[in-house]
Amino acid sequence: MKISKEEFLSLSGIGHEMLNVWMEEEWLIPSGSSPEPSFSEIDIARARLIRDLQVDFGVNDEGVGVILNLVDQLYGMRRTLMQLRHTVRTNPSE
Amino acid sequence: MKDPYEILGVARTASAADIQKAYRKLAKKLHPDLNPGNAEAEEKFKEIAGAYGLVGDAEKRKRFDSGEIDAAGAERPRQNYYRDYTSSEQDHPYTDNSGFADFMDSEDAFAELLRRSAQAQANRRGHDLAYRLPIEFIESIAGANKRLTLPDGGTLDIAIPPGITEGQVLRLRGKGSPGSGKGGFGDALIEVEIRPDRSFTRQGDDIYLELPITLTEAVLGARIKVPTPTGAVTMAVPKGSNTGTTLRLRGKGAPKHAGGYGDKLVKLKVVLPKEPDPELEAFVSNWQRGKTHNPREEVTP
Repeated sequence: MKISKEEFLSLSGIGHEMLNVWMEEEWLIPSGSSPEPSFSEIDIARARLIRDLQVDFGVNDEGVGVILNLVDQLYGMRRTLMQLRHTVRTNPSE
Repeated sequence: MKDPYEILGVARTASAADIQKAYRKLAKKLHPDLNPGNAEAEEKFKEIAGAYGLVGDAEKRKRFDSGEIDAAGAERPRQNYYRDYTSSEQDHPYTDNSGFADFMDSEDAFAELLRRSAQAQANRRGHDLAYRLPIEFIESIAGANKRLTLPDGGTLDIAIPPGITEGQVLRLRGKGSPGSGKGGFGDALIEVEIRPDRSFTRQGDDIYLELPITLTEAVLGARIKVPTPTGAVTMAVPKGSNTGTTLRLRGKGAPKHAGGYGDKLVKLKVVLPKEPDPELEAFVSNWQRGKTHNPREEVTP
């Protein structure tokens, strides 16, 4: 599902300025950029996580960057682990 | 629902700052996105978020303390968390596999499995794309080369193999959507739709045809040309053939899957000239057998 910038702002509840900072920091990586960036549902969920970290938990910008980096590694590992489980299940002889 | 102060582990007299502090301490530990795979954490997080939504807000806290509102319904509606999207098949730009790069560098069997899994992820094959291709009956028997124009303006050249049947699907390798990394393209799947023909029908590997013949050919026999999807063939009509007489032409049917050909079955249909013919009328009036012969003998009245 493609989501425009305007829709994204209203769905995620973040402001224009904040979004620009988050994209600059590459906390959010929208899929397209011409002429406007386009977002998907995972970007909204990620924006909510960042908002939780900043507003609810009081994590500062440096902290958010560190957390996202670790979160991405954690999910990357989980994904590979799931793929691994699939590989082992479908090739039980190996 | 339990008492929100109890959930947050603070006294009823706690200051707003203390409540926020208590909430943050718990939420940091229990946020579902920071605890993927831990269902218990999610339940607890919902509880503390609900409690904080109530007593973390000065106005609501006042109303709760005075008994105006209770803790019921304070739980935040379930939202989709980030973790719900990260395990999907869909690729997303946030995957980071550097967390176990060192594992993949070693030479054991586990590293090999890990490498393969990471590669399967990075190099996912593109999707298959399905199309429908209508063809003529004759093309289905004889085979054909067709060009399909795609919705995006591109074209696909398709070789229809002889003897293809309705609904058969042709797979064109690598003509589907692009994959990611070295995953390569998916396939194009082309479902063949055969337009009905005015003369020919097919049953299994046999082709049926109803063929009109003249009275003369029926009575005296003849060698006639029979159209087939792959060109005309000559067929002997035996003397005394009738409407409904079916002649079999061996090996002139559709190509069989396992090699060889089916048969062609030609059902004859005797057709009189369109215009009344005086000579024929004169002959038939003098033809005694035509008056005594009863073709309806076996038809029950």
